[in-house]
Amino acid sequence: MTIANNGTAMTLGERPEAAGAPFWRVLARKDVLAGALFMTVAVLGLWISRDYPIGTAFRMGTGYVPRLLCWILLGLGGVVLIAGLREAQAQLQPAAGAGWAWRPVVFVTASLAIFGLAIERLGLVISIVLLIGVGAFASRALRPLETVIATLVLIVLSWAIFIFGLGLTIPVWPEW
Amino acid sequence: MELLNNLAVGFTVAMTPANLFFALAGALIGTLIGVLPGIGPIATIAMLLPLTFHLEPTSGLIMLAGIFYGAQYGGSTAAILVNLPGETSSVVTCIDGHQMARQGRAGAALAVAALASFFAGCVATTLIATFAPPLAKIGQSFGAPEYFSLMVLGLIAAVVLAHGSVIKAVAMIILGLLIGLIGTDGQTGGTRFTFGITELTDGIDVATLAIGIFGIGEIIANLSRPQEQRSLVTQRITRLWPTGDDFHRAWPAVLRGTALGSVLGVLPGGGATLSAFAAYALEKKSSRDPSRFGHGAVEGVAGPESANNAGAQTSFIPMLTLGIPGNAVMALMIGALTIHGIQPGPQIMTERPQMFWGMIASMWIGNLMLVIINLPLIGMWVQLLKVPYRFLYLAILLFCGIGVYTVNNSSAAVLLAALFGVVGYVFMRLDCEPAPLILGFVLGPLMEENLRRAMRISGGDPMIFVNRPISLGLLIAALLLCILVALPAIRSKREQAFQEPA
Repeated sequence: MTIANNGTAMTLGERPEAAGAPFWRVLARKDVLAGALFMTVAVLGLWISRDYPIGTAFRMGTGYVPRLLCWILLGLGGVVLIAGLREAQAQLQPAAGAGWAWRPVVFVTASLAIFGLAIERLGLVISIVLLIGVGAFASRALRPLETVIATLVLIVLSWAIFIFGLGLTIPVWPEW
Repeated sequence: MELLNNLAVGFTVAMTPANLFFALAGALIGTLIGVLPGIGPIATIAMLLPLTFHLEPTSGLIMLAGIFYGAQYGGSTAAILVNLPGETSSVVTCIDGHQMARQGRAGAALAVAALASFFAGCVATTLIATFAPPLAKIGQSFGAPEYFSLMVLGLIAAVVLAHGSVIKAVAMIILGLLIGLIGTDGQTGGTRFTFGITELTDGIDVATLAIGIFGIGEIIANLSRPQEQRSLVTQRITRLWPTGDDFHRAWPAVLRGTALGSVLGVLPGGGATLSAFAAYALEKKSSRDPSRFGHGAVEGVAGPESANNAGAQTSFIPMLTLGIPGNAVMALMIGALTIHGIQPGPQIMTERPQMFWGMIASMWIGNLMLVIINLPLIGMWVQLLKVPYRFLYLAILLFCGIGVYTVNNSSAAVLLAALFGVVGYVFMRLDCEPAPLILGFVLGPLMEENLRRAMRISGGDPMIFVNRPISLGLLIAALLLCILVALPAIRSKREQAFQEPA
């Protein structure tokens, strides 16, 4: 799957790439963003672990390994970032900002989060309805009737597999 | 003779009705997700990991292993009939397999793929049974410094042999190691990176992380792509048996593919995908008439299909004998072991011979089941190919949700998985391979423990890693790999190896 995924994926509502200023386009390169991401995590990690006892190499404290790793990550992130900035103009990758799929990102994540929050209090059946109700918006291809049928099938299927078959102790209905 | 005794133990374990059932379940699920594009073995095993908590450890492992090699069988079906790789490891099977199908020889292609996979599976199972015990013996003589160096080598090799940028992959490993540190430090009792959230003090579960990054992340990535056109070969598959000419051409390719896949599978970072790509390249190079490739050459199906199954199975060797995962699936297997409180490593074979040999025997049984599942029942799987992704993703999303929730009956884990889903999608967009992250995550706590122990032994002197000959050798090997991959000539070769051979 990853092989066919060399960033060529395009989504609806995408703007032509030439729109951005040159400087912005340099910053939006994949390697630049990835390097910046690694460095941000590293700095954040160093800041959070600032109070962790480091100890000595002989008797390592809680903070020894985390801080060591953060420094390595900071260095690697820097290398990735610089390599991204220095990339030859000819092999410019498509800007990473183009074609982000906001629709699936928002609705897939939201549906799962709602499912997680609902399952304990509202039970499996209502949680499935919520998950599919929200998750269906992630794809433009789904028709309303199809969504309803999918919901019913999945409720029956998951009850059969998880509750009846495997005997998991998930609440099925809301607690009144 | 010890080998025969061990195998006898294994078969008595694997032949119990319960274990036969779980081998069949694994093979069926594996074929199913192998046929369906858009869901792979990593996401599936992650989803089912929580369920194995309720099973005997042996049964759980038998099922998870079945999913992995079953997916190699199923992947070829989608590749041949629809020209869509059900799995990354069957990308190259599309090239000649689908051409064969268009020429009306779909049955022959499917049969060659299944029989090649079966042969490779049998050979790989024998290899595991033969080479695992001596390797585990070597592993048992290792002390903390050797183990640490071995893990360094394993992680570096995993990165070098995978595709994509090496530096980014190393950064992903470090990121994984850091995520693995979240929670309570076993040695000092201090908490790390918990952000004051009580649910995080026990650390993040490997299933939560893997479901988020691979399961949810993949759904988002798939939905962001335009709907693919499926050119399903719909005519009835009448002739399953290959012609004499097919056999004549295919069997040398199967032998070569099996040998190549078995070797590449053992290497960290190897496994099914690399083996299949390498085998296709080998077949094309060694053929007297390379122009036949791309137009339905049966060797182009037989070679990669035997290689990916051999590679998938031999990649169990380092995981079972040394506790070192070579790819993301093996990392999840280690996660499954730890769920049951089993410490992965060379002692598994001596402490739990039933589990070890039972699993190996089940692989052979599973392969036999897969031939039956895939050949006569092919029509059923073809029907499944007609299920559009817009239904599939809803089901995957739901099973991900239920899977994460059941890991530890916690809503927080589901929220965390949703978060990791976004993170996983961001990684995919930035061309950062997520597999090294899982490897780092699983090995993180083990590496820290061995580092600490090694430093205790040496009194805080890092030279201990170079003073011990075995440890030094492992570190030199890791360094050599790093240098090799930086050389321009090898670099371009490495990039070529993962390009689709057109």
